[in-house]
Amino acid sequence: MKLELGNFYVKDIVFGEETSYSNGILTINKEEALEVVREDEHITEADLFIVKPGDKVRLVPVKEAIEPRVRVEGGPVFPGVTGELMQAGNGRTHALKDCSVLVVGKHWGGFQDGLIDMSGEGAKYTYFSQLKNIVLVADTDEEFEKREQQKKNRALRWAGMRLAEYIGSCVKELEPEELEVFKLDSITKRSKDVNDLPSVVLVLQLQSQMEELGYNDLVYGWDTNRMLPTFMHPNEVLDGAVISGSFMPCSSKWSTYDFQNYPVIRRLYEEHGKTLNFLGIIMSNLNVALEQKERSALLVAQMAKSLGADSAIVAEEGYGNPDADFIACIVALEDAGVKTVGLTPECTGRDGKSQPLVTLDPKADAIVSTGDVSQLIELPPMETVLGELESLARDGLAGGWAGDEILGPSVREDGSIIMENNSMFCGDQVVGWSTKTVKEF
Amino acid sequence: MKKAILYINQFFGQIGGEEKADFAPEIREGLVGPAMELQKQLGEDVQVTHTIICGDNYMGSNTEEAINTILGFLEGKEFDIFFAGPAFRAGRYGSACGHIGKAVKEKFNVPVISSMNEENPGVEMFRSDIYIFKGGASAAAMRKDIKKMADFGKRLLNGEILNSAEEEGYYGRGIRRQVWLNPPVTAADRVIDMLLKKIHGEKFQTELPIPEQDRVPIAPPIKDLSKANIAVVTSGGIVPVDNPDRIQSASATRWGKYDVSEFDRLESGVYKTIHAGFDPAVANANPNVIVPLDVLRQYEKEGKIGKVNEYFYSTVGTGTTQGEAARMGKEIVEHLKEENVDGVIMVST
Repeated sequence: MKLELGNFYVKDIVFGEETSYSNGILTINKEEALEVVREDEHITEADLFIVKPGDKVRLVPVKEAIEPRVRVEGGPVFPGVTGELMQAGNGRTHALKDCSVLVVGKHWGGFQDGLIDMSGEGAKYTYFSQLKNIVLVADTDEEFEKREQQKKNRALRWAGMRLAEYIGSCVKELEPEELEVFKLDSITKRSKDVNDLPSVVLVLQLQSQMEELGYNDLVYGWDTNRMLPTFMHPNEVLDGAVISGSFMPCSSKWSTYDFQNYPVIRRLYEEHGKTLNFLGIIMSNLNVALEQKERSALLVAQMAKSLGADSAIVAEEGYGNPDADFIACIVALEDAGVKTVGLTPECTGRDGKSQPLVTLDPKADAIVSTGDVSQLIELPPMETVLGELESLARDGLAGGWAGDEILGPSVREDGSIIMENNSMFCGDQVVGWSTKTVKEF
Repeated sequence: MKKAILYINQFFGQIGGEEKADFAPEIREGLVGPAMELQKQLGEDVQVTHTIICGDNYMGSNTEEAINTILGFLEGKEFDIFFAGPAFRAGRYGSACGHIGKAVKEKFNVPVISSMNEENPGVEMFRSDIYIFKGGASAAAMRKDIKKMADFGKRLLNGEILNSAEEEGYYGRGIRRQVWLNPPVTAADRVIDMLLKKIHGEKFQTELPIPEQDRVPIAPPIKDLSKANIAVVTSGGIVPVDNPDRIQSASATRWGKYDVSEFDRLESGVYKTIHAGFDPAVANANPNVIVPLDVLRQYEKEGKIGKVNEYFYSTVGTGTTQGEAARMGKEIVEHLKEENVDGVIMVST
C-alpha cells in the first residue's frame, strides 16, 4: 500500500470571490462554503470565521477539528462516512497544512466538547492554537440532545467534514509544494535488512464506550463499539479511514485532524527500516464491560504474537474507566513476550494525590505520560468569543461547572474562566504532539 | 523582611545529650545552634526570629502535649516559613520534626521545610505532609543540608517557579502535576526513545512510576461456617451517633470498635455514618446497609454461621492514605484474634 500525501502549506486564509489556493493564500467563498454546510436540513444557523494564532479569540464549545483534504483520483476523504466505501491509504491525497476546520456550537455544548484560546496563557493547552483555523459556528434542530450532557453532534460534525472536503477540493488539480510517500511492503515480503530489525505494532485503543450508536469513533463508518480488534495499515489512519467520535472528556479525545496527522505513526515511519520494522496497527477499542475489555486485550496480544511483533506501543483515547483496558492490554502483551510502552494522560485530582490511572500493574513499567486532565486552569477574559462562553459552565462540559462552593462558577461575569484541563480541546495530545508530562512534587 | 522560625532537638539546642531527651519545649528569641548557619544561608532578606528546642523523647512520648505547647508559642508570632532540623539519620529527631512540621503547616498555613537522611523513618511518615530534603547521615552534613533547606525556602518565599521533587532534591510528596518539558520533546519522540531502550535492554525511565504493590493473598475458605465467629469491619464510617472515638469524616487516622452483642440490628438514630465521601441519607436511615447486623443475626438463628462477633469495627475510607489504612488494619487484626474471629466481612462504600 502506497499513500502519497501532497502538501500545501497555508500561510494565510481570507474570504474572497473564489475558493482557491495560490502561493500559500487560501481564499474561501464564504457563501458557497455555507451552502455546503446547509446541505443538511438539520443545520439551522451557520457562519464562518477565520482565526489565527495570536488572535484574541476564545472558541467554545469546540466539537471537532478536521484537516481540509481532497482525494485526487476521486472519492470521499472519509470513506464510509462522507461517501461510499473505498480503500483509504492508497493513491494520492492533497492536504492543506497548518490549518484546520474547527466546528463550534453556536450555543450548546456537552461533556465531549472543549475550549480553544488562540492567544494568551490558554493557548499552550491545545495544539489547535498554532493553526490557522476556518471556524464553523453553527446550530442545529437536534432537539432531542439540546440539553443532554452527552451529544452525538452528528449534524455539526458531518457539516465540518463536508466543509473540509469542499475547501480541500480547491487543491485537487494543483501541484503540491511537498510530496510525502508512505509505503510499507507486505509483512512477509520485506527485505532481510528490515526483517532483522526489532518489529513493532502500534495498538490504538479507540474511544467506543457508548453502547448506543452515534457517539463512538468510526472505522470506515463502522461504530467501534461493535468491533473486535483488527489489523490495519497505518496509511488507512492517515488517510481518513478513522474519524473522531463525540464522547469522553474533551482533552483526552482524538480529533479527526489528530487521526489524519497522527504523530506517533509518522515517527514510526521515520524509524522504519532504520531502527524498527513497523508491522502496522492493531486497531482496538475501549468498552465498558469487563468481558469486553478482556476480549479485546486477548485478541490484541494474539494478533501481536501471530504477527511476530517484538514490541508494541499502546495508546488509549480517554482515561478513567478506559485505564482498565489500557493496563489489561499492556499486561496481555507483556505476558505474550511483547515489549510494550504505553501512552496515556493521567488524572491525579485537584490535589494531585490521586492514583494517576484507575488500575496499575507493575508490568506497565514503561509509560509516556502526556499530562494531567484534572489540572485547574484560570484564564482572563478574551476579547472575542466564538460560540457561547456560558456553555462551559452550563452544559456539563467535562472540565466546567455551574457552581463550586470554593471555586465559584467556571464562567465569571467579567468573562474570565476557571476550568479543568479536561475541557481543553484535545489537549492531552496522546497522539504524540504533547510536550507535557507529569512529575512528582 | 520575611521571618522564619526553626525547630531543633535538645542536642542541637545545646541542652544536652540523651540524658536531656525529656526536655520540655522552649522557645528562645534569636539564634541557637544550627539557627546561626540557617540565618547565614538565608541571607539578609529572611530573618530567623526564634529557635524552638524540644527533647526527642519528650516529643515522642507526649506528642500531643508537645505540639500544643509549641503551637501555643507560635500563636501571635509573625513568621512566613518554618524550618525543622536537619535531622540526618536520627529517627526520633526526624519523627519530631515531622510531627511539629505537619502541625505548624496545618495550623498556620506556612511552608515547612526539613531535611532527613533516606534511612530516617521520619521520611516515610511525613514526606507527604512537608518538604523533606534529602540529607546526610550525620551532623557532618549540617552545612550542606541547611544550605539546601535555605535555598529552597528563599525560592519559595520569592514566589519562584519550583521544579519537581527530584529536580529540587526533596522527597516527593505524592503530588503529581503536569509540566511542560524544557526543551520541549514531543510524546512521539519520547515513546520511540523509550521503546528502543526497552527493546535493547537499556536503562529507561518511565514517566509514570507504578507504586510497589502490597497485595494480601486471599484467605483459604472457612471449612465449617456453622461454627464460625463472623465479624464486620467497615471503612463506611458507621459509628454510634455521638462518634465516641472522634473518627474523622475523611483522611481518617482513627478507628473504633462497638459492642453489638445486645442488638439484633443497628437502629437509625442510634448509629449513623460520618463518612464524607458519599450521600449518607440511606445509611443513616438504615445503618444495616453498611454493617449488615440484621442479616447476620438471621444467619446466626438459622445456624448458617456460628455466631456474630460481639464487636464490629469501623473507620472512614475516603482520603485515607494507604499507610494509615495498613496501620489501622494491623491494629484491628490484633483485636479480632483476641476475640477468636474466624471470618471477617469487609464492607467498603
